[in-house]
Amino acid sequence: MSPSLRKNLFIAFLVAPAFVILIGVVVYPFVYNVVLSFSNMNLRHIRDWEIVGLRNYVKVFTEPSQPDFYVIFIKTVVWTVVNLFFHVVIGVFLALVLNQKEIRGKGIFRTVLVLPWAVPQLIVALTWRGMFNYEYGSINQIMTRLGLPAVEWLRGPTEAFIAVIITNVWLGFPFMMVIALGALQSIPHDLYEAADIDGASWYHKLRNITIPLIKPVMVPAITLGTIWTFNNLNIIWLVSNAGEPSDSTHILVSFVYKAAFNFYRYGYGAALSMVIFFILLAFSLVFMRRTKAADAVY
Amino acid sequence: MRYGLPIRPLFLLLAAAVSLSGCGGPKDDRVRITIWHQDRPDVRDVLQKQLDRFMALHPEVKVEQLFKETEELRSGFIIAAIAGQGPEIVYGPSDQVGPFQVMDIILPLDSLFDRTFLDQFTPKALTYYKGRLYKIADKMGNHLTLVYNKKLVPVPPRTEAELVAMGKALTKDTNGDGKVDQYGLTWNYTEPFFFIPFMTGFGGWIMDEEDRPTLNTAGTVNGLKFIKALRDEHRIIPNEADYNIADALFKDGHAGMIINGDWSWAGYQKAGLDIGVAPLPKITSTGLWCGTMVSPKGFSINANITEEKKRWAVELIRYLTSEENQMEATRTLFTMPTNRNVIRSGFVQNNEILRNSQIQIDNGQPMPVVPELRAIWDAMRPSYQAVLAGSRSPEQAATDMQLQALQRIREMNE
Repeated sequence: MSPSLRKNLFIAFLVAPAFVILIGVVVYPFVYNVVLSFSNMNLRHIRDWEIVGLRNYVKVFTEPSQPDFYVIFIKTVVWTVVNLFFHVVIGVFLALVLNQKEIRGKGIFRTVLVLPWAVPQLIVALTWRGMFNYEYGSINQIMTRLGLPAVEWLRGPTEAFIAVIITNVWLGFPFMMVIALGALQSIPHDLYEAADIDGASWYHKLRNITIPLIKPVMVPAITLGTIWTFNNLNIIWLVSNAGEPSDSTHILVSFVYKAAFNFYRYGYGAALSMVIFFILLAFSLVFMRRTKAADAVY
Repeated sequence: MRYGLPIRPLFLLLAAAVSLSGCGGPKDDRVRITIWHQDRPDVRDVLQKQLDRFMALHPEVKVEQLFKETEELRSGFIIAAIAGQGPEIVYGPSDQVGPFQVMDIILPLDSLFDRTFLDQFTPKALTYYKGRLYKIADKMGNHLTLVYNKKLVPVPPRTEAELVAMGKALTKDTNGDGKVDQYGLTWNYTEPFFFIPFMTGFGGWIMDEEDRPTLNTAGTVNGLKFIKALRDEHRIIPNEADYNIADALFKDGHAGMIINGDWSWAGYQKAGLDIGVAPLPKITSTGLWCGTMVSPKGFSINANITEEKKRWAVELIRYLTSEENQMEATRTLFTMPTNRNVIRSGFVQNNEILRNSQIQIDNGQPMPVVPELRAIWDAMRPSYQAVLAGSRSPEQAATDMQLQALQRIREMNE
């Protein structure tokens, strides 16, 4: 056996288990989902389903549902953009603060700030739900003590949507903070010293050194964050109690969950999840290309 | 760099792992039966005791119970059973029967249990669908009642007018800070399941005999108006209350009465409350009691079960639904039994809670088992909540509920 063949065989041997698992847990379910999306699988046709063409896809875009697909889509975009904006701004800001040499007890601050990320989402969601209660929730109690009017967080559609966003912002910023902190610590300090010699202000250092150098790390993190937030079923489902009030806090993924698992519309749910997949795929490709995330910095 | 060398140690490692995997102790060749259920911890404890006794009687069988949250149990069982897997026995309320039967994932039980055995149960305990038996219940109920704190409410109200009057007397600001500290009544009033008593009290019901929704009725409209008035006009219920908030308010003595199900009583007693259970009040204008949905809770068998396991599943269901085990559950949990002898027993007949529970069951209507029920809940929820949010009139909400229900049923059945 030639050395190169042995080398390739060994590589194949090492990769094989991961490859088999990948086929089992990613490729097969994905292909199955694609097939289902063209089928009429539902409560009445769960074993005898058949391919019905594009019918489910047509329904996704045209079926008069309540709430409407386009309304949910816009809400999903708002949900994702607002969440990501705050995740990144708060995360990077805290990372910049924690990266200062002068700060004492960094370890404690870091641990405390990572806590939201470490607590199980279920507990976070249910705790926030309690905190948003009109009469007994701590948020309204604090607001009224400050002289602000109490808000019916979980009763009004807009307020409930803001409530789920607040919860998810709290839950999501530690991830961005940890990533940004790692990136900041990898920036060579002599770049800042050189900038100091040139008389650069903190803003110029931020704009010309910090941001460009953390970008290669932050762009993939933001892409991941977008996909996670876009698909974050747990928070919506638990804080707003499955889309309450009146199905007004749904995002696409909670809507799919409801269609597939509450109404047994598996074919329709599969088609809708394919639409979500293509939206996220298109976003990721465009975002990565526009931000040149894969390009070298140095 | 050489890549050839590490292959042999890797194989050895794999071989060692494979051979060692068999060294985990003596092989357990008992027949394994798994039950999925959605019961609370105290029910699980009673069940475990009974399972332990069953396993002591039959050492060749190992029975495991696994708790699943209601929705997870339903969707998880569907997914598992369609794939030819899943637990041998699934336990829960009767509304699972419709979808499970349509999907052909549970077995008809009438050929597995003899008539003498089935005759020991009250007829409501046996859930038939399309002429076949699919569930045998050991508990009746899942029904809502008026639970009251005897310290605050010595005698429970019998009519809605008494309820309002009592509620007004109980609702107070005890510390003078301008906020209500004690409410007359509370319950999870955002959930349509808890709306049913008011709908039926005003003469409505969710579907007709042919399983078509009947939501656009005076019963719905007046029920909605009544609940809204309790909050906005009489102000005897909290401004906002989901299940957990309502439960906590009652447990902490901040509410005199709560509308809650049979599953909650043991918890309130454990929390040290001296509770009474009463039927939900009668609506004076209609002369009807606020009746709730009543559902038997029981056992169904997975359609994928093997013949050997089927024999044991039948034996286990016989054992768990037996007179002595039902009596044990009734005494510990205050749940309504389904065995005729236990129902006639002195304990059930003389216990105030169980007696009133039986009255509420008699005032109620069986929960429909058809899959369409899910579409009806989902059609009711948004409009019901919109009425409570003040963004829709009760009349409009009733119309919307009906239209939505029809559409959802059409979508489900297409």
